[in-house]
Order: sequence, then C-alpha cells, then structure tokens
Amino acid sequence: MTALLATICLILISIIVVQIGKVTELAGKIRGEEEYQEQLNKRQANYSLLFMVLFLVATIASALYYKNSMLWYGPNEAASEHGSSLDSIFNITLFFTGIVFILTQILLFYFAWKYRGEKGRKALYMPHDNRLEVVWTVIPAVVMTFLVVGGLDAWNEVMADVDPGEEYIEIEGTGYQFAWHLRYPGPDGKLGARDYKLITATNPLGQDWTDPKNLDDFHPSEIYLPVGKKVRVRITARDVLHNFYLPHFRVKMDAVPGMPTYFVFTPKITTEEYRRKLGALDLNGQPKYPEWHEPVDPSDPESPKRYEAFDFELACAELCGKGHYAMRRVVRIVSEGEYEDWLSKQQSYYESAIKGTDDDPYKTEETSEEPAVSETPAEAPGGAETE
Amino acid sequence: MANVETKPVVHEEDLLIEEYGYDDHFHEHHHGDKYQSNFITTYIFSQDHKMIAKQFLITGMFWAIIGAAMSLIFRLQLGFPEENMAWIKPLLGKWITVNESGVGSLAPEFYYALVTMHGTILVFFVLTAGLSGTFSNLLIPLQLGARDMASPFLNMLSYWFFFLSGTIMFLSLFLNTGPFAGGWTAYPPLSALPQASSGSGAGMTLWLLSLVFFVVSVLLGGINYITTVLNLRTKGMSMWRMPLTIWAFFVTAILGLLSFPVLVSAFLLVMFDRGLGTSFFLSEIFIGGQALDHVGGSPILYQHLFWFLGHPEVYIIILPAMGLVSEVLSVHARKPIFGYKAMVYSILAIGFLSFIVWAHHMFMSGVNPFIANFFVIFTLIIAVPSAVKVFNWIATLYGGNIRFTAASLFGIGFVSMFISGGLTGIFLGNSAIDIQLHDTYFVVAHFHIVMGVAAFFGMFAGIYNWYPKMFGRFMNETLGKIHFWGTIIGAYAVFWPMHYLGMAGVPRRYYRFDSFAAFGQFDLMNQFITIAAIVTFGFQVLFVINFFYSIWKGKKMTTRNPWGATTLEWTTPIRPGHGNWPGKLPTVQRWAYDYGKDGQEFIPQIQPLGKDEKEGH
Amino acid sequence: MNVTVAKTDYRRSKIHPKKFALLVACAGIMMMFAAFTSAYIVRQAAGNWLEFRLPDLFYVSTGVILLSSISLHSSYLAFTRGNTRIYRLLLAATLILGLAFVVLQYKGWQALAAIGVELTTNPSGSFVYVISGVHAAHVLGGIAALILAILHAFLLQHRITPARKLRFEMTLIYWHFVDFLWVYLLLFFTLQ
Ligand code: HEM
Ligand SMILES: [Cu+2]
Ligand SMILES: [Cu+2]
Repeated sequence: MTALLATICLILISIIVVQIGKVTELAGKIRGEEEYQEQLNKRQANYSLLFMVLFLVATIASALYYKNSMLWYGPNEAASEHGSSLDSIFNITLFFTGIVFILTQILLFYFAWKYRGEKGRKALYMPHDNRLEVVWTVIPAVVMTFLVVGGLDAWNEVMADVDPGEEYIEIEGTGYQFAWHLRYPGPDGKLGARDYKLITATNPLGQDWTDPKNLDDFHPSEIYLPVGKKVRVRITARDVLHNFYLPHFRVKMDAVPGMPTYFVFTPKITTEEYRRKLGALDLNGQPKYPEWHEPVDPSDPESPKRYEAFDFELACAELCGKGHYAMRRVVRIVSEGEYEDWLSKQQSYYESAIKGTDDDPYKTEETSEEPAVSETPAEAPGGAETE
Repeated sequence: MANVETKPVVHEEDLLIEEYGYDDHFHEHHHGDKYQSNFITTYIFSQDHKMIAKQFLITGMFWAIIGAAMSLIFRLQLGFPEENMAWIKPLLGKWITVNESGVGSLAPEFYYALVTMHGTILVFFVLTAGLSGTFSNLLIPLQLGARDMASPFLNMLSYWFFFLSGTIMFLSLFLNTGPFAGGWTAYPPLSALPQASSGSGAGMTLWLLSLVFFVVSVLLGGINYITTVLNLRTKGMSMWRMPLTIWAFFVTAILGLLSFPVLVSAFLLVMFDRGLGTSFFLSEIFIGGQALDHVGGSPILYQHLFWFLGHPEVYIIILPAMGLVSEVLSVHARKPIFGYKAMVYSILAIGFLSFIVWAHHMFMSGVNPFIANFFVIFTLIIAVPSAVKVFNWIATLYGGNIRFTAASLFGIGFVSMFISGGLTGIFLGNSAIDIQLHDTYFVVAHFHIVMGVAAFFGMFAGIYNWYPKMFGRFMNETLGKIHFWGTIIGAYAVFWPMHYLGMAGVPRRYYRFDSFAAFGQFDLMNQFITIAAIVTFGFQVLFVINFFYSIWKGKKMTTRNPWGATTLEWTTPIRPGHGNWPGKLPTVQRWAYDYGKDGQEFIPQIQPLGKDEKEGH
Repeated sequence: MNVTVAKTDYRRSKIHPKKFALLVACAGIMMMFAAFTSAYIVRQAAGNWLEFRLPDLFYVSTGVILLSSISLHSSYLAFTRGNTRIYRLLLAATLILGLAFVVLQYKGWQALAAIGVELTTNPSGSFVYVISGVHAAHVLGGIAALILAILHAFLLQHRITPARKLRFEMTLIYWHFVDFLWVYLLLFFTLQ
C-alpha cells in the first residue's frame, strides 16, 4: 500500500516537474534565445549574490550560536596542560583560513554577479598574469610554513614519551568489544606483565600472576587522577582496534592489538572546578552559560542541573564493531588528597578475585601463604614494564 | 554512418576539417561498421567509447541513488533515534527489530553496514567509476581527435568488470549475516575476523572480491586512457594544447595505475590472514572467548598500504571534477582559463604529492610520532597548488561575460565547495590539531564537502554541459537551475553543521550519541541535518527525472556547437557514429582556450593561426 | 581485430599503442610487488622476524626462467628471420621451461615447509609464499600467452605480418617482464 502511494506520488511529481520544464522551454522560444539568456543571466547572478550573503551570514551566525558548545571556546577550555597549546593553534589556523574563506567566497560570487553575460559585451582576454600567479603561490606557501612550524613544534612536545627520570603515574586502558578495561599499577607504581594467552573470564587482561608486579594492580571502573600530575596512559587492545579518546583533555590514540601505545598528559583542572566553571554566574548573578543550568532530565525540573552532573568522559574513537558507540567510562580529576584516599580504598584484583583460586600460582594446600607484595615496592632496576 | 542530420547543411567545421584535416583512410578500414551491427553490440557489449561512457554514467547513477538512499536511512537513525522505523521493515527485514509495543528500531550491526556500504559505493562506484569512467571515456577520444580508445575491447572489458564488481557488492546486501560493516577503510582486525562483526564473514569476502574486480576495471580503463592520451592525439594536438579536462583525466589515470595495485596487495594479504592463517595484520588477539594463534602481525601495516591508495584515490575523484569545471567555467565565462600552465603544473604537483602524504590519515594510529613530521609538511604543501587552482578559477570569472547555465552554476558551486572543504584540510593536515579532530564529525564535514559534494558538482557540471554531445538533446535548464540551488543550499545545510559537531568532539561512526553526555547535546542539529539530507535527496530526484526525460523528450540540438566551445568534440556531427568524424580527422592548430581573442567570440582549435597571430598562452 | 586505431603516421612515439599499453600494465603490476616488498621491509623493521635461508631450489628456478627468456628471445629472432624450425622449437622449449619454473617454485615451497618455515610460521616466511605465489600466478598468465603463440606457430603458416610480429613482441615483453620481476624478487629476498 505504502509502496503504491509512494509510486503514485513519484509519478505525480514527475509529471509536475516535466510540465515546469516544458513551460520554461516555451518561454525561451517565444522571447528569442539571446534575450532570454540575458534575462536568465541577470536573475541567476542576483541569486548568486543573494546566496553569497545568506551563506556567509549563516556560517558566521551559526558559528557564534554554537560557539559555547565547541571545545575550545566558552567554558570548554582544555582540561589538560597540552590542550591549550593545541587549541591556540586551532584558533590561529581558523583566523587565517577564515580570512581566506570569506574573501574567496565573496570574490567568487561577486565576480559571478558582476560579470554576468550581457548582450554585446565582450569578455576580457586575459590568459594569464605571471605576477599575480607568483603572488598567490607565495602567500599560501608562507602562511603554510608558519602554520607547519607552530603545529609541529607543539606536536613533537605533546607526543613525546616521559623522560626516564621523570615522576609520573602510569595507568592502562584496554579496549575490547565493547568497553574499556582499566588497570592501575597499585602501590608499587608498576604495571605487571601480561600475556594474551592467559586471558580467561577471571583474568580479563591476561595478567601473569607469577609476576609480583601484578599482585597489587587493581581494576577500577572509573579513571581517577590527581590534578597537576603527569599521567602516562598505556593503551592496549584485546581484540580489534579501538581508540582511547578523552575529548576534554585533547587525548586520542589508537589501541592496537599486539602493540601497546601511549599518551602522556597532565590534567590541569579538577572535575569540581570544571563544574563550577560551567555553572558560573556573571556579574548580575545570571548564569553565564544558561544551557548548563537546564535540568539533566528535561521532563523533571527537580533533577540536577547539567553543570552539576557534568563528568569528563572516556570514549572510543575507532570503529570496533556494533557496540562502538557506547564504550563510556567516567574520568574524575580530583585533588591530590582525594586521590590518595581513593587509592587506599582500592583492592588489588589479585586479592579480590584470584587469590586462593585455581589460577593462583601461590596457592598452597592448606593456607595461602602471603606472597611478597607491595609492602616494599620492588625497586626493579630497568624498565617500568615488561611485555 | 549514424549521422542523423537530414538536410545536407554545410558546416563551417566540416569545411575546415576538409581543408586542413588529416586523412587516415578511416572508411577503407571500416566497411559497414561491424561494431554497430545489432542491438547487443550497440547498447550492451559496445566497444564505442561514447556508449561505454553512457554505461558508466547510468550505472554510476544507479549506485548514487542506492548509496544516497542508504545515507537517508542512517541519517534517520541519527536524527530521530527514538522514532519508529517499523515502516521500512518490508525493505530491511530482520535488521529492523520491533519491540512489544510495535516500535521498530534499526539494528546497530546494520547501521554500520549501511555506513560502510554508503562509503564504499560512493567513493568507488559513483565518484571513481561514475565520474572518471564516464568523462574519461567520453572526452579523451573526442577532445584529442581520436577515433576511439587505444583498445576499445579492453575498454569494454573495463565496464563489464565494473558491472561484475557492482553485482557482487549488490548481492552482499542480501546476505543473512549482512554486508560488510567495518567502515569503507576496512581496517583489520575488524575486517579480518569473522568473530569480530557479523559483516566480517561472508560480507567481507564479497566486499573484497567485488573490490578486486573493481580494481581490474580501473586498471583496464586507466591503461587505455594513458595510452590514448600519449599515442592517439591527432595531428597538431601537442600536450600543451590539450584541454585541462584531458590533463586531469591523464594524471588521474596515472594515479590510479600506481595506487590501485597497492590496494590489491593489501587485500591479498587480508585474504591470506582471513583464510589461510597467516599473520600479516594480526597479533595477540583474544576474541570470542578464544586466544588466536596469530602473532607478529601489524594492523598498522594495512593502514599504510590502504592509505597509499586511499589518499591518491581522493584525488582520483577530485581531479576529473577539477578538469571538467575548468573547461565549463572557461566556456561559459567566454574567457580563456586563467593560468593554463599553472593549472597543468598544479595538477601534476597535486598528483605527485598525493603519493607522499598518506600517513596524514594515521597520525593517531600509533605510528611513530616522529614520522608525522614529514607527512605534515608534505600535506600542507599540497594546499599550495590547490590554492593556486582556486585563485585561477576565480580569476577566470573576472572580466568574463558569464552565461549562467546549470553547468556553469555547478562549476561555480564546485569552486565554493572546494574552498570550504579545502580549508578544513589545513586544520586536519596539521597533526597537532588532528589530535582533537581525528575521527570526529569535523573529518566527515571536511571530506564530504571537499570530495563528496565538490566531485558531484563537477560531475553535474559535466553532465549538463556534455549531455547534448551524449544524447543529441539538452537537459531542461530551468530544472537544472532549481536542482543547483536546491543542492548547494541543501549540501551546505547538511555538512556545514558537522564542523560544529566535530569541534564539540563528537566522534564519527556512532550509532547514537546519547550514551555520552558530551556528545548527546546536539539533538536539534542532528534533526536539522537529517531533514536537510532528505530535502537535498529530493532535489536529486529532480535531476534523475530531468536526465531520463530529456534522453527522449529533451530539446533537440540543432547546431553542432551549442556552447560556442573551441574544443574538438563539438566539431563532430550532432550524433557522431563510431569513429567520431565521418571523414578526415580534424587537426589542431591552436590551444584550447581562445575565447574573446582579437575581438572574436571564440576560435575553434581546428582554425589555423592567422598570419601574424601568436598562440594563446 | 581493432580497426578503429588507424594507421597514423604522424604519431610522435614510434611504439605501437598496444605495446605501450602493455608496458603501462607492467608498471601497474610492478607497483603491486613494490607494495609487497615495502610491506616486507616495514614489517621486518618491527622485529619478531624469523631469519632463514631460502632453499636452493629457488636459485635453480631462477636459472630456468632466465633460460626461458633467452630461448623466447631467440625464437623471436628466428621468427623475424623466417627460420620456422628454430622458431617453433624454441617456442616449445620456452613453454617447457616456463612450466618447469612453476613446478620448481612449487617444489621450493615444499622445501621451505620442510625446513620448518610453513605458511603461517612467521610473517617472514608468509611473505615469501605470498609474493612468490602471486608472481607464479603472473607467470601462468605468461604461459597462457605462450600456448597461444605456440598454437599460432604450429597451426599457421609462418608469415611475418605486422600483426603477428606485434603479437609475438607483446608476448616477449611480458615474458621478459615476469622474468625480470622474479630476479628482482629473488635479489630482494636474498639481500634483505
Ligand atoms: C587542502 C588540502 C587537503 C588537506 C591538507 C587534507 C587533509 C586531510 C587530513 C589530514 C585528513 C585526515 C583527517 C583524520 O582522519 O583525522 C583528511 C581526511 C580526508 N580527506 Fe582531506 N585534505 C585535503 C584535501 C582533500 C581533498 C581535495 C579531498 C578529496 C577530494 C580530500 C578527501 C579526504 C577524505 C575522503 C578524508 C577522510 C577519509 C576517511 O577517514 O574516511 N581531502 N584530509
Ligand atoms: Cu570503538
Ligand atoms: Cu588524504
């Protein structure tokens, strides 16, 4: 039935379209081709000019309208130290490309309008102009050089690994279909060895329990990090490609099975502070960003305001299958003290899930003897990890 | 001959060709034109480049409709995720799951299948075969003054391999496990492991098979184009007298020849990993409750191979459009293209550079960040010849006497799109900015505007402009203009807002956005985009109706050279037969852009230079 | 076969369009192998790479295919000089050598497996199988062309027409190409 209706609609539309076409062709015949074309030129040229104006107004207005939802404007300042340098390169690029965009669009449509065909007018014969061409080759080249230098400078700094002697927190994110599994090194500060062949339902990361560094590693369900401390995320994948993506921190890196990658960043603002910024009031006591003062649940005005419920998020940014769109984890940036508090409440995965089971290599017949864990952080010389 | 002109009108072109033309004794070889003897050899297994061009075009249009329809379905999902989709259950069957209350929703597996098919179809079938296949075939022999391609037989094979490829892809849509659903880039391990996604089993097998045949088609075509351009130019047609269209097709064919075989290599290695247990791209994988034996492979290696094709591929798509637009703008502005030589050098530079920028798609893939330095530099260098081309198009309009037709409007629209999308490339090419923008909607906006829409505009400009040469009739101009305004406004409405989504961090390839607070705040914008997409699709229906109606009922072409163009294709009879020129071959006396020179409206390429006339450029 | 390509004496390049097209096609095939060998290098640099010595059989097969190139070329010379017997004989010899090459490659793979390098053992070995396998497929294409040439040689009267000369030359070019390609691959495997 619907198919029939759709077909009938289509046929009707076709007939109308064809009729419009026929009528306009007649008009051309009646008036004489050339004159008719001149009139068309005029009309279309005017449309071009109108389009240009509307288009530029629409782009600029919509940009202003959405400005505060975009990540480097309004309250959405980068939450990591390197983030602001990337954002400023974005803005510099936007400045230059914005100028070029507006100028070229104006010239394009303005010329189209200005030089619309008129009967009896002759076009200018101007096959080339070497000086002009040199100018507009050199200018983009110079601007590009400028952008490249700034960009690469920042890039190489952001992507550098931690220096050997540096103090940092290492955490691990492992993507699998379809979630992130997180691992913290525990008191020894070192992530234990893994082997994918050891993965089982109870050992989701394939940790090798004979490696003492593993015994204190814990698996939280949220990322907790202290503000102002350098973090190195070790990024791995268990099955297919994933991508460890922290939009507010300008962090993004593929998770590749069989090849750990990393990203180093330093959070510079706590979740609480960020919420306060989103909910800030202006001098008159009015919300600076009203959209953040709306309730989370639009149907329930009593629900918390959006800024109160705000959290940093971890997402996946590399297509990994049908559940790709929902690999969410919450990221909480807290003060040093809160972080220590939180750490002390975490129980190692070994303790909670492995100890005393068949998987436990230290399991003895009667009592499970306490293996030498974490009390004295092993001062393992050489690399922080093994794999 | 299939020359339908009835009255023996005397054409100026014929006189010129008779006087200066080159007699290659065409008729003596051509008793009875054995190629056009029956329906099958005329319309189906034709070896005439003009018919093959039409076959590519119409097949391309078929795929464009399918691909666009798919995008509407997944756009509905993105704009209205809660809406009842039960009404397309008759079409999609089990991929629409209906709950107790009768509300149907699109299965995520099939959402990803649609996105993947949409990408594959539009990039390869529509914008590679449908665009370059159509116009290279139509224009290379006609504009160079050749009777046909170097090998009409291989040319025919090229089309039929494309057809076969399309058939296989089409069949994969009906698989029980669904077509391939891992993105048009088909990164392993997702694409290599049937356990990883339902489309990665039989769906991926057919996808690979289809694309291998597609590559064969592209290569057969490309070999022909290159050989024809280098060997079969008519007398006087030096390389520097070729229209920019031909330069563009020529460089496109070279890019295809050098990059598509690399894709086949990558596909072969994937096939080995899939079927024979090798580990080129797979390592240390635990999936479906099982640790696989593969060790030592590198998924990143595949990405290198893929993008070594992938980046040239985007230029394979856009260069023909650039060529068509250069020609169309010049003809309708009644002015020589500005900076012909600079345009040629830009095409060559873009072609060359496109081979050394591929890793800009891989900044965040885990490659050594140090290598990114080279790729950033080369990537941003590419922006320079691109900018030169834009300035030259604008300068071509300057001082012109522009005739507004559907073709020239689409030409102007192309430049506008290319500017908008090219500029966002400068953000993405700068790896520092790409950290944030990679795999977000910003990238989607970038490549749809600069490649998708711009290439379509180039194609439309080409179709409206050369339709009379293909079918001996005109498409309706008014409908063409409505089509243009609807499409440019619609396309910007669809893709411009996506920049904002990307700048807000929204990742691409998400089935729905509300799992994340940060990504789920743009419902209105997503609805707007979806509605704009549906409306824009409506304007394309207008085009399709216009196209098919005009084949039989369009305004008849009464003169040979309706646009007053200088190039050779307009010196052929209104409906040229196989062999293109009934008698002698035209010879070329001047470059292709003598518009408005010495007070003359235009001077055809076959007209000899005046006594002390200096050649154009 | 193709009458629309007129005999155009103004053509700048002396080379026949079909021959030129074949060379262009060879360039495309070359790119495929360039991709394989680059992938090989990139993968090798990443470590976890099994070193092994290529079985000697591959060197024997190289000798065989080199010989076949010589014999085909001589056959071509005999063809142009009108020496029917040598022309036919060497053509047949080339076919036998070509088939021998494929068989030797197959034996080579068996030898590889025998020293413990199976298809799936390590990418270093997998590459050898895949690359030499794809090459062998191209040789099979050449063998098909040779069979056609032999049918022509034995069934038709020996006449040196431009069309037959062209056809022979194209077979020759392609055969030299797959030969050269194998030498490149062998050197690549040995020196890497
Ligand atoms: C001004 C020159 C250009 C530059 C600097 C540039 C740069 C880039 C970069 C860096 C990316 C990767 C973004 C990412 O995934 O994070 C990209 C994506 C893309 N570009 Fe461009 N681009 C330019 C022009 C073009 C043109 C002319 C086309 C096509 C005609 C094009 C088509 C594409 C496509 C299809 C993608 C996305 C592929 C995918 O991931 O599915 N670009 N561009
Ligand atoms: Cu994912
Ligand atoms: Cu690219």
